Amino acid sequence: MIKKVHHVGVVVRDMDQAMTFYRDTLGLHVHKVETIQEQGVKAALLTLGDSEIELLEPVVPDTGVARYLESRGEGLHHVCFEVDDIERDLQALKDKQVELIDQQTRIGLAGRICFLHPRAMGGTLVELCEPLPETAGAHS
Amino acid sequence: MSTLTLDHVVIAVRDLDAATADYNVLLGRDPSWRGEHPTYGTRNTLYRIDNTYIELLAPGTKKGRWANELWKRLEQGEGLYALALGTPDIKTTVRELRDAGLEVEDARDGEGVDQMTGAQRRWRNALAPVKATNGVRMFFIEHKSPPDALPVAPVTVEGGYVQRMDHAVVLSADMEVSRQLWGNTLGVRLALDRTFPDRNTRILFFRLGDITIEISGGAVQTEEGMGKPDRLWGIAWGVDDVQKACDRLRASGVDVSGPRAGIKPGTLVATVKGEHAHGVATLLIEHTPESFRAESRLPQGTAYDNVPQLRAFHALALDHVTLSTPDAMSTAVTWADVLGLPVHGTRDVEERRLRLTDLPAGNAFIELAQPLNPEHSLAQHIAERGPGMYAISIEVDNIDEAVRDLRVKGVAVTEPEFGVREGTRVARIDPASANGVRIELIERRPPVL
Repeated sequence: MIKKVHHVGVVVRDMDQAMTFYRDTLGLHVHKVETIQEQGVKAALLTLGDSEIELLEPVVPDTGVARYLESRGEGLHHVCFEVDDIERDLQALKDKQVELIDQQTRIGLAGRICFLHPRAMGGTLVELCEPLPETAGAHS
Repeated sequence: MSTLTLDHVVIAVRDLDAATADYNVLLGRDPSWRGEHPTYGTRNTLYRIDNTYIELLAPGTKKGRWANELWKRLEQGEGLYALALGTPDIKTTVRELRDAGLEVEDARDGEGVDQMTGAQRRWRNALAPVKATNGVRMFFIEHKSPPDALPVAPVTVEGGYVQRMDHAVVLSADMEVSRQLWGNTLGVRLALDRTFPDRNTRILFFRLGDITIEISGGAVQTEEGMGKPDRLWGIAWGVDDVQKACDRLRASGVDVSGPRAGIKPGTLVATVKGEHAHGVATLLIEHTPESFRAESRLPQGTAYDNVPQLRAFHALALDHVTLSTPDAMSTAVTWADVLGLPVHGTRDVEERRLRLTDLPAGNAFIELAQPLNPEHSLAQHIAERGPGMYAISIEVDNIDEAVRDLRVKGVAVTEPEFGVREGTRVARIDPASANGVRIELIERRPPVL
């Protein structure tokens, strides 16, 4: 069951340059910056009301985000919904034979996450997340 | 779902003449209408103000389908009786509400006759059983007579009169049930969900057009509250000048306290006490320009904002995410099937050559946008890049300041203009300034604490 829009993911070429707009000009507060080695990205979470903007800069070539940047340029990448029980929701998606990128949930910046295939969602890359207890406070 | 408005509020009173005299004073206006419902067995007085109208409802001399219900309510005392939610298309709304799981009766014709002029007004309305709406009496209404059939209630005082409804307050014992009802079933936008630990209060701010419905409950959900019904409690009326309103009401013998500073910085409020409001908890509120960019509207997540910045404007919330699609209807079905998001109506915005469908998702909504013209820039975008994420809309507290400030900082942004959604103004940032992201800034009338 979807609770809210947890964040909107944006692919950027240069995190420092992106910060000059999203943090300095738009005035969003940066509450987390982290490099996720296994995805080869540097990620920054900026608070936007009860939701977030996630800036993603690929730091390793030939990852999903790097290829996206190469072929499509900077811009909107995915939308992530917070759910109350991701294991149950993922199972429900499998039962409905929804095309998935992740067959199993995994740990990401937003907690326990999984991605649906854009083909299943009219071209939009959708992420589901269930924040871990220690990350849940970051959004309230 | 077709967007609902707060068409009017109904206040149950025993003695219509006495209540009318009191509300004439309270509002600083004469009635728009004094009428009778031949089939309901009720009589009423109506006041049209800037953004809604007020109905004082009393039992009539004849029997009718509403009179018994009303008497039952009046045994518990006078007060707020019902919310009438307006729709341009009652048939579609009833169907959509039923699809969303709400029990709604079939729509029926209604008519009122003005005793002063003999004028008639017609409408169709559909009632929801009180148990289906968590204890808050609601009905849905489509007016068949033109809006000017109910004229604006003439202002009778020099200053200090009620201009508009600012917000209505609903007391909730079970916040989760209320949130589900208003957010998911009725599809009303949840603008803010805030907890005030020092006051042991949590408030959900839902927006119906430019009126806020405040659902107020305890900071922590209690077990004994679960499953208990909501209660319509009070109304905050927007006045032009709260000091003048207090002076004039006191001179008329109304017990009123204030003015004092509101909880929201930049507002002045006064409380109307005693019997004068006929059981409605009544607040008068005046907004000053400062209240539109007040401290209380700082972005949430302030735990990290250790040093408050002085800013010309504030980005308040993610309002919505726009997805492009060649077929909004079928994409809506897909999203509803896969993610279980409610689908709230599809409408064509002719002047923009767009078909829009909203999917509420709690704190924000997903907007599906379908171009209705192959020459449309959105159609070209879909042709070049395929359908999918297209833009995000960010709510700001002051769009004029935002545009001015962004331009000073070298960002290309369009002039603010009225949005396709009621009560909004929007401006668009050049994606080249925002790392390739199409960002719409949107200003909505602020909620009041």
